[in-house]
Amino acid sequence: MEDIVCNNIDFNNFLLFDGAMGTMLEKYGLKRGELPESYNILHPEIIEKIHMEYLGSGCDVITTNTFGANSYKLNNTHYTVEELVGSAVRIARKVAGDNLVALDIGPIGQLMAPLGILSFDNAYETFAEQIKIGAREGADIILIETMTDIHEAKAAILAAKENSKLPIICTMSYQSDGRTLTGTDPITMVNVLQSLGVDVLGVNCSLGPNEMLPLVSEILKYSRVPVIVQPNAGLPKIINGETVFDITPHTFAEYAKLMAEMGVTILGGCCGTTCHHIKAIKNEIKNLNPVKRDVQRITAVSSSSLTVILGEEIKIIGERINPTGKKKLKEALKNNNMDYILEEAINQRDAGADILDVNVGLPEIDELEVMKNTIRELQSVVNLPLQIDSVRCDVIEAAVRMYNGKPLINSVNGKEDVMEAIFPIVKKYGACVIGLTLDDSGIPSKAEDRLKIAEKIVRRAEEYGIDRSDIIIDCLVLTASAQQKEVKETVRAVELVKSTLGVKTTLGVSNVSFGLPQREILNRTFLAAALTAGLDAPILNPLSKDMMSTVNAFNVLWNKDKNSKKYINIYSTFEGKTIPKEVSKNKDLNKIIIDGLKEEASALTLELLKTMSEMDIINKYLIPSLDIVGKKYESGEIFLPQLLQSAETVKKAFVVIKESLILSTGTKLSKGKIVLATVRGDIHDIGKNIVKILLENYGFEVIDLGKDVPTDDVVNAVREGNIKLVGLSALMTTTVRSMEETIKALRENNLDCIVFVGGAVLNEEYAEMIGADYYAKDATQSVKIAREFFKCV
Amino acid sequence: MKIDKKEVLRYLGYKNQEIDNSLIDLIEECCKEVINICKESFVYEIFDIERKDNEIFLLGSTLILKDNDIINHLASSKKCLVMAATLGVEVDRRIAYYSRIDITKGLIMDACATTAIENLCDELQTHIMEKSLEDNLHITNRYSPGYGNFSIDNQSNILNVLGAYKKIGLSVTESNIMLPRKSVTAFIGLGENVNVKPNDKCMNCKNTDCAFRKDGGYCV
Repeated sequence: MEDIVCNNIDFNNFLLFDGAMGTMLEKYGLKRGELPESYNILHPEIIEKIHMEYLGSGCDVITTNTFGANSYKLNNTHYTVEELVGSAVRIARKVAGDNLVALDIGPIGQLMAPLGILSFDNAYETFAEQIKIGAREGADIILIETMTDIHEAKAAILAAKENSKLPIICTMSYQSDGRTLTGTDPITMVNVLQSLGVDVLGVNCSLGPNEMLPLVSEILKYSRVPVIVQPNAGLPKIINGETVFDITPHTFAEYAKLMAEMGVTILGGCCGTTCHHIKAIKNEIKNLNPVKRDVQRITAVSSSSLTVILGEEIKIIGERINPTGKKKLKEALKNNNMDYILEEAINQRDAGADILDVNVGLPEIDELEVMKNTIRELQSVVNLPLQIDSVRCDVIEAAVRMYNGKPLINSVNGKEDVMEAIFPIVKKYGACVIGLTLDDSGIPSKAEDRLKIAEKIVRRAEEYGIDRSDIIIDCLVLTASAQQKEVKETVRAVELVKSTLGVKTTLGVSNVSFGLPQREILNRTFLAAALTAGLDAPILNPLSKDMMSTVNAFNVLWNKDKNSKKYINIYSTFEGKTIPKEVSKNKDLNKIIIDGLKEEASALTLELLKTMSEMDIINKYLIPSLDIVGKKYESGEIFLPQLLQSAETVKKAFVVIKESLILSTGTKLSKGKIVLATVRGDIHDIGKNIVKILLENYGFEVIDLGKDVPTDDVVNAVREGNIKLVGLSALMTTTVRSMEETIKALRENNLDCIVFVGGAVLNEEYAEMIGADYYAKDATQSVKIAREFFKCV
Repeated sequence: MKIDKKEVLRYLGYKNQEIDNSLIDLIEECCKEVINICKESFVYEIFDIERKDNEIFLLGSTLILKDNDIINHLASSKKCLVMAATLGVEVDRRIAYYSRIDITKGLIMDACATTAIENLCDELQTHIMEKSLEDNLHITNRYSPGYGNFSIDNQSNILNVLGAYKKIGLSVTESNIMLPRKSVTAFIGLGENVNVKPNDKCMNCKNTDCAFRKDGGYCV
C-alpha cells in the first residue's frame, strides 16, 4: 500500500490539536500502571469516544493512542506494536472524517547510551517500526512528542523521514530551569530540529502555559518553521496524595491566545487538558489571524546542550584532534587509546576552544569505526560542538548521522563531484559545512577568483535546499615560505567573501608559517590581519598562548568582548613571566607515590630518566611503592581514595616512561594482555575502572571493552587478541546472569583463558557457581591474580 | 540540599584512617559540585490498600505486593505511599566524566551523590510524616525493592504507576537498573498504629556480609 501523502496541510495557518489522552483514559477507568494503549484492543469504543469528544470541541487534528506503543515498553506484555499502532490509527481514521490524524510517537522510555543502554541504532529501529505501521494505516502527520533527549528525537526524525513521506512535528519537554531533563535549551532544539527538516517544532508537557512563555518566545525568535505549543493544564499539584492540574479552560485559552499573538500557529493541550480546554482555545482564536514573525537567521552549530553562534565574538575551532604531524596522537589512534583523545579534547576546551575538529584519518586504521567510536566518546565527555573532518564521504555520513546535535562538516569545495557527494549529507542531517575555495584547477591566486568559487559553492548548496547561513567559507591560507605574495590575497578574499556573500568564514591559520622559524610570530600576526578582515572562526591550536591572546585582544579592540569582561577575567590575575617548577632534588619518587602527590610525578620521573633506564624506574620505584600502598590498603591503614591517589600518581609516571620507551627503543611495555569488561546490561563501571588503573600501574596491557558489553564482543576480543586472562564485573544480581553467559560463551568457543570476576553481589561460592576461575574481592586482589597468572615477581 | 561528609566517608569505606587536608578539600569540593549540578526531583502518590490471600493490592493501580518482607513492613498500615526520587542525569554524566579523567574524584563524587539521594529521601520522608500527622496518620520507614526479599522486578511497574519517566525522567533497564543511577523508589505505610523503627531496613536485610552493617550502619 502507498503511503498517504498529505502535502496540503498548511502549518502557517492555525491548526488546533486535541488535548490529553491519558487524562481522559483515567476518567474512563484506566488504572495507574495499566498500559494505556491496551485500550485500543480491549475498549476501542472508549478511544473512539475520546476522539469524538475532542472532535466535538472543534479540533482539527486528533492524536492516536500510541504514545508508548513501542517494542521496549511492550516487551513484557502480550501485545505487539503492529496490533496496538495498527488498531489505534484505524480507530482514529474511522472517526476523523475530514480532520487529520496524527500518529503519536512518545519517547522509548530508556536512557540513551552512553549513560543508558539504548543505542542510537536501536532507537531508530524502534521508531521505524511504529512509523511504518502508522503510515501504512493512513496517519496524516507524525507527531514526535515529549522528547527530553535530542539524540532520541534525532533518531525518531530520521526514522520518520526514511520510512514515510508524512510531515513531521517534533516537540520537546522542558523543566522550569529552561532545559530538558538531559540538558537541551530552546535555541539548541531549534537549531538541531529545523536543520533535520521537521515541518513543525515546539514544546509540550511538563510545564503549564505560563511557565512556557519565555521558552516559546525564545523558540519563535529562531525557528524558521511553524511552532506548536501543547502545555499541561498548569503545574502538577499533589492534593490528597493525588496529582492534579488545575488551570481552568478559560485561563488556558487566554494563554493560547497570547501565544498565537506571539506567532505560534499550532495549539493543543497535554496532561490535564480536556475537550473543554480545546473548545475554549477554539473560541479564543477564531477571530485571530496568524502573525508573521521576524526570524533571526544565525550560523550556529550545536552539541546536545550548547549552541555556538558564529559572527558574535570570534569562535575558536580547536585543531589538535588530527593525526597529521602528531606522533602521539597517531600512536593513540592505532592503539585505540581513547583516553589520550579525550584528554586532547578536554585540554582544548579548558584553553578556550568553542568547537573541536575531529579527524582520525590514518591509512592503517579502520577510519569509519574509529570515527564513530571517537564521536560517541567525545560527545559524552565534552559538550562542545564537533567538526567532522574527513576526506571520506562514508566516514562523514556515519559520523554526522550518529552525532548528538548539529555538527560542522569539514569540508566541501568547488569541485562538482565533491559537492554532489557532500551536499546531500549536509541537507539530510542538517549540518553546517565548510566550503574551501578551490576547484579542479587548484587554489586560485587572486582573491576575486576565490570569491567566484565561494559563490559557486553557495549557489549549489542553495540548489540542494541548504540555507546560506549553514555555509562557512574557508578562503585557504597559503604558506609565506612558498607563496609569499599570495598570503595577502587570502586576507582580501575573506573580506570579499564576507561583503559579497554575507556568509561566515574560517581559516586554518597556522599553515601560513610552514617552513619558517619561530612560526608563532607569523601565525599570530597573520591571525590578527585575518580577524580584521572579518574572519569569524579561526581553526588553530588553542593551547598556543600567542594565538589565544591575539583572539582575546581582538575581541576587546573590536568591541566584541563587552566591557572587556572576558579579557579581564583571563588576564587580571596573570603574573607575566612564569618560571618552570624546579624539581627539588631530595624528593623521593617512592614517597610521592605513597603520598599520592600526582602533580609531582611527571617532572620527577623525567628527572630520573636522565640517570636511570625506564625499567629501573619501574622496578626500583613504581612497583615497590605500589606494593607498599597495596599492603597498607589491605591492612586498613589507608582507604580506597588514598589507594587511588597513589595509583593515579603512578599512572602519571607511567605516561612519561612509556613515551620515553617508544622514543628510545620503539617498544611498548607489556607484562601481559588482559581484557576487562562490565558485562551486558550493567552500566556500573567505576569498580572496573579502578581495577584497570591498578593493573596498568603494574605494567599490564589492559584492553578495556567498557560497560554493557555484549557477550560476543568479549569472545571476539579474546579470540582476536589471543588473550589469556579476562576480568569481568557486574554489580547487580540481574547482571551476574550475563556474566555467567559470557563465561559460558568463552568456554563454548574453546577459548583457552582464565576468567576472574568481581562486583558487589559476588562472593567466592557465587563466582565458582557461574564458572569463574577466580573471585577478586577488590582491585588489589585483581592485581594479585594477574601477577600470579603472568608469573611476575 | 546538604551532604553530610561523615556519610560520604562511610560510603568510601573510611575507618578512621589518617587523612591529609588535600583529601578533605577534595571531598568538600566534590560535595559542592554535586549540590551544584543535582536536580532533585520526586513524585509520590498515596493508595488505599486491600489485603487478599497474603497479597496487598494498591487500589486504582496495577501494583500487587507479594513478597513477605514488604507485606510485613506494611502489616499495620491502612494506606501505602509509593515514591520515586532522583538527582537527575547530570550527576551521572559528571561521575562518568571524572571516572575517565580523575578516578579518585569520580569515586568521591559517586559517594557524595549516594549521600545526596539518601538525604533527599530523608527530607521527603520527613515532609510526608508531617503531612500525614495533619490527618492523624503515622508513617513507617521507607522500604525499597531490593531490601529483604522484596524483588527489584517490581521496579518497572512502580515507575509506570507513578508515571516517573514522564514526570522526573526516571527509567529502568531490563536488568532493573534505574537510570539516572542516583535514584530511589520506596514504599511508606500510613496508619494510626505504625511507627518508624530506626534502622529496620538494615536488620531485616539478608545480606549479612554487608560491610556497612558490620559497623551498625545501614546500606542503601
